[in-house]
Amino acid sequence: MKMMVCFKAVPDLEMLSEEDWAADSNLKVDLSFVRNILNCFDESALEMALKLSDVSEGFDVLLNLTAFTIGDQKSDTYLKTLYALRFKKAVRIESNEDLRFFPDVTATVISQYVREINHQDVIVLGRQSGEGDNGKTPLLVAEMLEWPCITQVIRIEPDTEGSLKVTNMVDGGTLTQTITTPCVLSVGNAPNSYLRVPTLKDKMKYGKTPIEVLDIQQFNIQALLDDCRHGCELKGLEKISHKRQGIIIEGETPREKARILYDSYLKERLEKL
Amino acid sequence: MALTRAQIVEGLVKILGEEKVITDEQVLKESSIDRFRKYEDICGVYTQPIPAAVVKIENAQEVSAVLKFANENIINVVPRTGQSATEGGLETAVENSIVVDGSGMNKIVKIDPYNMQATCECGVSLQVLDDLLREQGYTTGHSPQSKPLAQMGGLVATRSIGQLSTLYGGIEDMVVGVEAVFPNGEITRIKNVPRRAAGPDIRHVIIGNEGALCYITEVTVKIFKYMPENNIFLGYTLENMKPGLEILREVMVEGYKPSVARLYDPEDGAYHFSHFADGKCVLIFMAEGPKAIAEATAKAIEEIAAKYDECKKVDTQFIKTWFDHLNWDPKKVAEERIEIAETQNIGFTTEVSGNWDIIHDIYEACCERVRNEIPDITMMGGHSSHSYVNGTNMYFMYYYNLVDVEPEEEITKYHNPINKIIVEETLKAGGSMVHHHGVGKHRTHWIKEEYESSYYILETLKKAFDPNGIMNMGTILPIKK
Ligand SMILES: Cc1cc2nc3c(=O)[nH]c(=O)nc-3n(C[C@H](O)[C@H](O)[C@H](O)COP(=O)(O)OP(=O)(O)OC[C@H]3O[C@@H](n4cnc5c(N)ncnc54)[C@H](O)[C@@H]3O)c2cc1C
Repeated sequence: MKMMVCFKAVPDLEMLSEEDWAADSNLKVDLSFVRNILNCFDESALEMALKLSDVSEGFDVLLNLTAFTIGDQKSDTYLKTLYALRFKKAVRIESNEDLRFFPDVTATVISQYVREINHQDVIVLGRQSGEGDNGKTPLLVAEMLEWPCITQVIRIEPDTEGSLKVTNMVDGGTLTQTITTPCVLSVGNAPNSYLRVPTLKDKMKYGKTPIEVLDIQQFNIQALLDDCRHGCELKGLEKISHKRQGIIIEGETPREKARILYDSYLKERLEKL
Repeated sequence: MALTRAQIVEGLVKILGEEKVITDEQVLKESSIDRFRKYEDICGVYTQPIPAAVVKIENAQEVSAVLKFANENIINVVPRTGQSATEGGLETAVENSIVVDGSGMNKIVKIDPYNMQATCECGVSLQVLDDLLREQGYTTGHSPQSKPLAQMGGLVATRSIGQLSTLYGGIEDMVVGVEAVFPNGEITRIKNVPRRAAGPDIRHVIIGNEGALCYITEVTVKIFKYMPENNIFLGYTLENMKPGLEILREVMVEGYKPSVARLYDPEDGAYHFSHFADGKCVLIFMAEGPKAIAEATAKAIEEIAAKYDECKKVDTQFIKTWFDHLNWDPKKVAEERIEIAETQNIGFTTEVSGNWDIIHDIYEACCERVRNEIPDITMMGGHSSHSYVNGTNMYFMYYYNLVDVEPEEEITKYHNPINKIIVEETLKAGGSMVHHHGVGKHRTHWIKEEYESSYYILETLKKAFDPNGIMNMGTILPIKK
């Protein structure tokens, strides 16, 4: 079974201080000084695929994993790591375009790649990235390929060569279904969110496998990109204040403070639960 | 006859009252270890003898009474404040110990801006003290990565050091006076004067004692003017560690005093700097103080760095952004627990020091041996973060995957063998096996080699001040079998 996991390296926004959030005259916040991290949903998706690979052999299903990203050279360190973690192929679509708010473009590139260059049975993506927060790419990829899409996926288990057992979150619970491939899986708040770490030995042995680099221009996205750019224009930025009121509980002993906390603030709420 | 657990608790309740004597099982288990055994803690597997009680003390008199009781009945006492220890200093190595927790002694006694000193109880958080001082235009100048976690008693007890050490020094350069309680109950105060030559400097009996000689109840440290508006950051990339160390040496030897002077190797740097220095070493300086001094220091460092072709300057904003996020707060500690549990990948550090002529060899030998000899290693690297006119430290960072190990086997399979390599290589070269975390309980096997003939002085101190050996057994000195 061929599975492609799409990921994106994003700036670690937690590193920005209050003043760093000030936008410049082009309404841009300078993110060039912060380090990159894996988008958290994508990180879950990558680990989910590896976990599936761990158990797939027992089901006589051979999982062939491809890692895919659109971005500049900075993403290569992640692709090398994924090789070391035994992804069979690592692909980067070279791009310096700012695609943060254009999920249509991203989805066009992904779907074209899968349709025309490297056929897949399953595409796994994080549900959204902290940068654009569009939450659209997986759905658009599915629509463009005319494949079904399962959203809020939290677990993938092997089934047969042509199907997977997929668990996702639904209103009020979780649902486990057998899904025949091809399909798109959009990963949500999975219980495991960290990617495992390759050993130095595996990094030496597999991390040097060449990354397949393709130019984004070969996907003919210029017209679409121009359309997207004209379609929406950023007019202004405003900071949302998240300040909340606080109360300091006074008391002689921790026991007394805990008692006040319970009686005055928690008891009523807990009773309502 | 040794007291039973119940008798110990009863004795403590008599001294302190019930409220201050904690015997909750989970608290006791968590109080049997420190971050050296963080994996056992994450797994909820506690292999060390569980203490009889944790006591919350509120003043020197209470400490005195507890220590006297322990001394008379030969009960092991483990002093504790911020609980950020990393080397086993908080492990209760023998049955029925008493953990004496001073975190409740958190009064800032006096800030004296005229004499430029601040006095506080042992449980004052360094972050709280420094934030308060900064509001008034002062600072302690002490900035360990554990600033949000560590407290003044522990910081003095471990001979801690902060990121600004090249200018302000280690805690030993900051402590003016101190109050400490010895096992016989004696409460002693060392007065706050600028300097004296009235015999040996007895502050050093207390600073760095790791709870193995006495209990620190109050500390007075120097304070300095806080002038962040003058801070100048400098950052460079290099291909190799050797020229980086040469630059650090030249800056020190020429007599400049940047507050921060750090050199990262590519492996250690990858976590922080991959966005601008992938695969490279990173050299960092910060010049601070009065404007003219900061500017002159920065200018001189730039001139020294410019002499080295492979030393390339980077935008200072990279360094500033990074520096603002270096410290570990409780949130980061909590996140680390989850990450370890999920990835089964865990990291530790071992910090050593050596003169300029040996430090690079120590660095290379340790990295090579750990990479080759230890299984499942995912990262081995290091940085120099505290430089002196005659040498520098090397802070080794290493991570490994936990493969086929029970929680209790993690230390014997990975951590101890790595420590052994680093300590042995450092001692062989003539360096010191501990730069700033303290000996704790896991580097005691090498304490005689560390001290060489001066071990006599250390051993005699222990015999003199803690003749019954009740203070933090197995710390600094191994437990005699
Ligand atoms: C994320 C992280 C980063 C760190 N970074 C640094 C760093 O940059 N620089 C550095 O030097 N250290 C660092 N450390 C180590 C640690 O923070 C220091 O050793 C610190 O000084 C410990 O202070 P504490 O109050 O937490 O002491 P604790 O952890 O409570 O105790 C440490 C040791 O001191 C003894 N002790 C504690 N209180 C007393 C007392 N009142 N009287 C006598 N003995 C006492 C204990 O028995 C123990 O042996 C780091 C630790 C962590 C977890």
